[in-house]
Amino acid sequence: MATVVSASDQSRFIVPIGPQHPALKEPGHFEFTVDGEIITGASARLGYVHRGIEKGAESMNWTQCLYLLERICGICSHIHSIAYCQGLEKLADIEISPKARAMRTLVAELERIHSHMLWWGVAAHEGGFDTLFMYTWRDREIVMDLLETISGNRVNYSVNVIGGVRLDLSPEQVTKIVSGMKKLEERTKHYLEIVTNDSSFLARTRGIGVMTREEAQRLGAVGPTARASNVCRDVRVDAPYAGYHEYPVKIVTDTAGDLKARFVVRIKELFESYRIITNVAQNMPEGELKARRVPRKIPAGNVISRVEAPRGELFYYIESGGGEGPERIKVRTPTLPNWGSVLTMAAGLRLADVPMLLVGIDPCFSCNDRLIRLNPDGKQQTLTWQQLRDRGIEYYR
Amino acid sequence: MKNDLPAMFAILIFPGGLSLLLGGLMFEWIDRKFVARLQNRKGPKWYQPLADVIKSFSKEEIVPAGVNAGLFIGLPIVGVTTALVTGLYVPLFGFAPSHSFAGDLIVVLYFLSVLTLTLGVAGANTMDHFSLIGATRTLTQLFSYEAPFMLALLGPAIVAQSWQINEINVYAQNHTWFLFSQPIGFIIALIGLMGKLELPPFDAPEAETEIVSGALTEYSGRGLGLFHLGQDVEFIIGITLITTFYLGGLANPLEFILKSLGLLLVLTALQTLAARLRIDQTVGLWWRIGALLALIQLIISIAIRKLI
Repeated sequence: MATVVSASDQSRFIVPIGPQHPALKEPGHFEFTVDGEIITGASARLGYVHRGIEKGAESMNWTQCLYLLERICGICSHIHSIAYCQGLEKLADIEISPKARAMRTLVAELERIHSHMLWWGVAAHEGGFDTLFMYTWRDREIVMDLLETISGNRVNYSVNVIGGVRLDLSPEQVTKIVSGMKKLEERTKHYLEIVTNDSSFLARTRGIGVMTREEAQRLGAVGPTARASNVCRDVRVDAPYAGYHEYPVKIVTDTAGDLKARFVVRIKELFESYRIITNVAQNMPEGELKARRVPRKIPAGNVISRVEAPRGELFYYIESGGGEGPERIKVRTPTLPNWGSVLTMAAGLRLADVPMLLVGIDPCFSCNDRLIRLNPDGKQQTLTWQQLRDRGIEYYR
Repeated sequence: MKNDLPAMFAILIFPGGLSLLLGGLMFEWIDRKFVARLQNRKGPKWYQPLADVIKSFSKEEIVPAGVNAGLFIGLPIVGVTTALVTGLYVPLFGFAPSHSFAGDLIVVLYFLSVLTLTLGVAGANTMDHFSLIGATRTLTQLFSYEAPFMLALLGPAIVAQSWQINEINVYAQNHTWFLFSQPIGFIIALIGLMGKLELPPFDAPEAETEIVSGALTEYSGRGLGLFHLGQDVEFIIGITLITTFYLGGLANPLEFILKSLGLLLVLTALQTLAARLRIDQTVGLWWRIGALLALIQLIISIAIRKLI
C-alpha cells in the first residue's frame, strides 16, 4: 500500500517481481526499472496479506488476544507474545518471577536461532546456492526439535501467559538443549567460514547493497540490517526486558554495511544466542512459573512495549479502557522500517542482485501488512466500517 | 566397435532417435538424483524425467498474445530436431557414428548451438519481460562460452590432424588419453559444457529467483516438453563428445557408458559447489580466464606437434 519510493516513468523497461514470483515466499509487489541488467529505479507495493489483526484484537478479551497476536508471525511468534504480555503486565502492575523471565529469554533465543537459520538458507537459495540452503535447513531441524520437545509445537509455542509462562524445563530437556547448542555451534562455525571464504558466494555478497551508517540511521533501519551498517542498536541491550538483565547480550556489529555483513552479523549473533541459551538452561532460577492472580480487567491506561525480534525492534502500543479487552493495539514489526533501505539500495545494482537484496533484510510481508494510509492529500475523511470494507474489496479487485 | 545396423534403424531407434531421447532422460535423472543426494535430499524416482515429459505433452499449449504463433510453435521443433540430428555424427554409446564426413566436428558444434539459439529467439519472440531478459542472457552466455568450448575441442582435433569426429576418436583410442596430454583443454571443455547446458552455477539465463524461467517462461505443454527433450539430448551428446575426445575415444559400449557416467557424476558434483554467477561474472570468467587458457592449451599443442 505504501509506495515508499515512487515508480519511475512507465515507458522504461520494468521487471515486475510479485505478487506471485518464485523469489518471494509471501506476496508483495516490486517494480524494478532496468537498463539492460542495471537497475535504475525501484518501487514497492505491499498490503496483499493484510489480515485485520489489530481490528480483530479490539473485539476480543485480553487472553484471547494473546493467541491472536502470537499468530501475527509464523517465525517469530514467541516474541510477539512477549511484547504483548510484557505490556499488559506493566499496565496491571504484575511482577513476574525470575524463572518466568528466564524461560521467556530461553525460548526467544531459540526462536532467534531458527529464524536466522531459516533466513540464511533462503538467502542462499536466492543467490542460487542451493547446497547451502539444504544444509542450513537440515541443521535448523535441531533447534526445531528442541522447541518441539519444550513446547510441543514447532511454531506458535504458546509459552507465555499473562503473568508468566506455561512451561518448565525438565533435567532431560536441559541436557538435550545443551548438547543441541554444542552441535549447532560447530555447524555455525562451518557456515561462518563458507560465508566469509567461499569465493563464488563472496562474489554475490561482498560490496553489494552497501548502506552506510548515516543512511541506516536516516532510513530508520532496525535489527541485524542496521547492525550490519555499524548502528549499535539492540533493544535487548538498550532497554533490557525479560531475562536480559541477568543474562546480558553483547551487540554484534559490522562496519561493511553490505550483504556479506548482514550474513556475518546474523551468524555471529547466533553464537551469542547459543551462549545465552546454555547459560539459562544450566542456571535456571527456582520459583513460580506464573503470577498467582491475574485480573480479568486491566486498569485503564496505555503502554508501549518494545522487544528485539530476530528481525529487529518490535513495537507494541496497547491501550486499555479498563475493560476485559483492549481499546487499541498497534503493532509495528521490524520489516516496515527496513523496506526503505532496500528500495534505496537497489538503484545501480544488477537485476541478479535483487532477490538477495530483498531477502537481505529478512522481510516478513504478512507481519508487516497493517499500515493503512487513507488520505494521502491530507484531507480529513471519516469512513464507516462498511465503506472501509467496500473500499478494500474495490482496491483488491 | 563398428555399427552395422540399417540406416533407418540407426536414425530412429538405436543409437539415434528413441534411445538417444531415453538416454538423455536417464542422464537427466542421474543428474537430478545425484545433485539431490549431495544436497542432502531424496531426489526423484528414476522415471520422473519421463513422467515430466509425458505430463507436459498432455497439457494444453498456450500461445500467448502478441507472439508470432508460427515461430512460437516451430522453434521447439527446430531445437529438438537439430539436437537429434547431431546424434548421427557422434559416437553414441561407444558405437562409431552412423554418418561421417570431413569437418563434421564444426557441423556438430554448430548444431549444438542451434538449440541455444532457438531458446534465445523463443524468448525474444514473446512480450514477457522475464522471457526477454532470459533471452538476452541466454545469447550473452552463448557468446561467452562458445569460443573457449570450441577451442577446447579443437585441441584434440589439431593433434589428430583431422576435423572429422570419427578420425579423432580413432586417434584418441590408440594414443594416451587427451585428459592427460591436454588437461587444461579438458577442464575448459567440461565447464564449457556446463555453460552450454545452463547448469548451476551458470544458470543465470534461467535463474528462477530473478526471472522465473528465463526464455521459457511463456512456454507450456508441448513446446516446453520439446525444449526439455532437446536439452536432455544436448546433455548426452555433450558428455559423449567430451568422453570420446578426452577419455580415450571409442570403446566397447559398457566401458564407454561407464566412462560417460563417471564424467556425468563429476559434472553433477561441480554443480553443487558454488553460488550462481551473475551474467556479467560469467562473461568475465569466460573471456578473461576461459578463452585465454584454451588459447594457451592450443598453442602448446601446436608447438609440441611442430617440435615432434
